[in-house]
Amino acid sequence: MAEDLLQQLVNGVAWGGIYALIALGYTMVYGVLKLINFAHGEVYMVGAMTGYYAARSFGLAGAPSLLGLVATLAASMAVCALLAAIIERVAYRPLRSAPRLAPLITAIGVSLLLQNLGQLVFGADPKFFPPLLESRNVFEVGKLSVSNVQLAVLGTAILLMAALQWIVMRTRFGRAMRAVSFDAQAAALMGVPVDRVILGTFVLGAVLAAAAGVLVGLTNPKIDPLMGVLPGLKAFVAAVLGGIGNIPGAMVGGLLLGVIETFVSGYLSSTYRDAIAFVLLIAILLYKPTGLFGTTQTEKV
Amino acid sequence: MSSKRVAAFALVAIVLLALDAWLPSWLNPYYATIVTRIGIAVVAAVSLQLVNGFTGQFSIGHAGFMAVGAYTSAAFSVYVGAGWLESLLGLLPAPLARSLFYPLVLASGGLAAAVAGFVVGIPALRLRGDYLAIATLGFAEVIRIAILNVDAVGGARGFSIHAAEHPAADLRFEGFGAVYAVVVVTIVVVARLVYSSGGLSFRAVREDEVAATSIGIATTRIKVEAFVVASFFAGVAGALFAHSEGYVHTNSFAFLRSFEIVVFVVLGGLGSITGAVLAAAVLTAAPELLRGLGEWRMVLYSLLLIGTMLLRPQGLLGNREIDLGWLRKRFG
Amino acid sequence: MALLELRRVTMRFGGLTSVSDLDLDVDPGQVVALIGPNGAGKTTAFNVVTGVYAPTEGSIRFAGREIAGRRPHEISRLGVARTFQNIRLFRGLTAAENVRVALAAAKRSGLFDVLRPGSWRRQETTLCAEAVGLLERLGLSHVADTAAGSLPYGDQRLLEIARALATRPRLLLLDEPAAGMNPSEKQDLGALVARLRAEFGLAIVLIEHDVRFVMDLAERVSVLDHGEKIAEGPPEAVRRDPAVIEAYLGAPDAGGAPA
Ligand SMILES: Nc1ncnc2c1ncn2[C@@H]1O[C@H](COP(=O)(O)OP(=O)(O)OP(=O)(O)O)[C@@H](O)[C@H]1O
Ligand SMILES: [Mg+2]
Repeated sequence: MAEDLLQQLVNGVAWGGIYALIALGYTMVYGVLKLINFAHGEVYMVGAMTGYYAARSFGLAGAPSLLGLVATLAASMAVCALLAAIIERVAYRPLRSAPRLAPLITAIGVSLLLQNLGQLVFGADPKFFPPLLESRNVFEVGKLSVSNVQLAVLGTAILLMAALQWIVMRTRFGRAMRAVSFDAQAAALMGVPVDRVILGTFVLGAVLAAAAGVLVGLTNPKIDPLMGVLPGLKAFVAAVLGGIGNIPGAMVGGLLLGVIETFVSGYLSSTYRDAIAFVLLIAILLYKPTGLFGTTQTEKV
Repeated sequence: MSSKRVAAFALVAIVLLALDAWLPSWLNPYYATIVTRIGIAVVAAVSLQLVNGFTGQFSIGHAGFMAVGAYTSAAFSVYVGAGWLESLLGLLPAPLARSLFYPLVLASGGLAAAVAGFVVGIPALRLRGDYLAIATLGFAEVIRIAILNVDAVGGARGFSIHAAEHPAADLRFEGFGAVYAVVVVTIVVVARLVYSSGGLSFRAVREDEVAATSIGIATTRIKVEAFVVASFFAGVAGALFAHSEGYVHTNSFAFLRSFEIVVFVVLGGLGSITGAVLAAAVLTAAPELLRGLGEWRMVLYSLLLIGTMLLRPQGLLGNREIDLGWLRKRFG
Repeated sequence: MALLELRRVTMRFGGLTSVSDLDLDVDPGQVVALIGPNGAGKTTAFNVVTGVYAPTEGSIRFAGREIAGRRPHEISRLGVARTFQNIRLFRGLTAAENVRVALAAAKRSGLFDVLRPGSWRRQETTLCAEAVGLLERLGLSHVADTAAGSLPYGDQRLLEIARALATRPRLLLLDEPAAGMNPSEKQDLGALVARLRAEFGLAIVLIEHDVRFVMDLAERVSVLDHGEKIAEGPPEAVRRDPAVIEAYLGAPDAGGAPA
């Protein structure tokens, strides 16, 4: 029983790491632009698809290796970075001074575009991600097992989040990003190149989403052009859980959501799995209207 | 009621009845379906406009209330209404019996959705901006998944609106008379709500909540009212949808449907009833008209959406109305 | 009995005490000026009276009823109206609509009144007429159909007063109504305040930096500094009060001396 519980926890954390990676992109973009980037789930899908093609063209399908995984991640990140940069320039930047909901609609438009283009380019049928690692259990006690794939997923996620934390807290770009999040106008007055920072934020988020796409290919190899819709939405929920705009909040929210989802489908019923994210969301928002780590902003009268 | 008003109602009723009788005989059924769907989209869009465009709240879960209306009305038809309809059919000529019965069905959907809107609105409307948005989305998904787990309405198989014990009662309503009657009622009610002095409070809440409370407006109450009215019409739209298709499935009410309605509202222009009508009509017809493009049609559709928004960030009509004077004079 | 009675009202935001132990009385029909340097807590005092914030401590009675902590719309309905220092009009509505919405709110017409055919039209006609009347009294009829947000600054201030009056208040709180006005506009405003008081029998509290402006207008001046009331009395006396001079001179960048 306890082993089972622990097993679910391990599975949940690995799954939650993926949510967290996607959620970070939502939260960072929200931080600098106050925009819910609904196209982010599709960036993650493109990440998975790119990973699929890259891995095959690198000839990794039959020859799993850690190096192969790294190469695949790199290829996928590069493509998604470029994609995000294009999306930002074309669909969001022209609307910087437009009513707030306008970019939201273009975001939905880009999301639909990528889903449908994806079906044309990649085909609507699911594909099977090549096993980049030879799956074996590296840790086994009784019924509890941890596979090298799970470790790789979690390890990569943690590594990336640590890197992100370093970028945000320690680099010039990170400082600029925090400044723009705090007050874009003031940042602009102080000479922060706001447009470049926003572009960089999109790229950074896309890189993390690309990684999530490849990692998901390792654990759930079945991928298709609509795969980004639900995880994208749930990752956004995770970001809101943590308090949108708050980077550690997104990490915690993602992990929390992954674990709880795994528990619900393990112990209750998998039909409720998709509902639990939203139930949790509602419960937390009703209790704390700005998410777990969000700060309340009172309006000065 | 003034005689002018009676005349207006009679005119609308006659036009709708005539449409109902004549359109099917010369319009190909495929186009007929599109016309019906446009009507349903308009009802959904105009009602959401009340919340998003006029009251300044941001709901992206409208499809959830459509689902409540669709399923409640369907269950009502199948488990209760079929018997009533059968008895009515024994007493009255079929068209009359059916047109007496159908409003009950629609009302059941609308009322159920209004109740759901009230229950969801009270807690959710304490939230602001994007938090409200995501909460409404969450509620809509929870509603949808909850329905998916109710066996009496078919669960994951969907729910066919057909009562085996009452074979004589055809529970499908394909005519557009009813759809467009609801369209007219929705537009009139929302227009009157937002363009009269009493209804100015909706826009006051949108413009500045602090100032609104300072002149005695109970802002939460106003928001809940907007939400409940909008949910009611969403429920009616859901009922119309269910009964024109003869079958409901929760997939029709997933968040993509909610997004679609938000797109109608924003693309039409926040705070414009006619804008919402226009956008709902164009965007519902577009994918069908683009059908010739085969698999490229949805790609083009999304490009159209992005392009329009880039060219007109304030929406097609901004917050203006087409022919406002006419609306005001007739129904104001 | 005083119309408005503040007793030992304190408002703290975290560690910051914005209003401290404030006592204030306003009689029916009286004009009181509230002055003090920037950050003295004047606006906060208004916010507490109108229910924007619930006071941390103390009691606020209006017309004999305790209102501390009541919701803003309830307090408004009891007869307290206000304007805002940083004008808060419904910018997207026309001037006439800004007034009409307040008139309608005061009449508490609800959803179902709007949907009922007969009563609705009658009410609509009355409200429009009343709105026109109010705008006329403030000299705003010529901009009745202009969007509030695009009115000149001075007109916006006046429109805020018109909107406040539309709620039929017994007490009107004006937060720096003369801010940003030129001397001649200020003079007109002074005349207007006097007229409002006479015509509507209103009690008025007004926040102002310029003591000269309130000299002829206010019967009583209360001076706040760092959240505390440091002086109170007829304008002449307050103007010469050393504590007041000190407060203003002690914070030279804070609104200037009470000339
Ligand atoms: N909501 C709030 N949260 C935190 N601090 C606040 C809040 N409202 C006001 N304060 C603080 O309370 C103090 C008093 O502010 P207030 O606006 O009442 O001053 P004031 O006398 O109106 O000044 P001014 O002449 O500049 O308008 C200030 O230090 C202000 O920063
Ligand atoms: Mg002030």
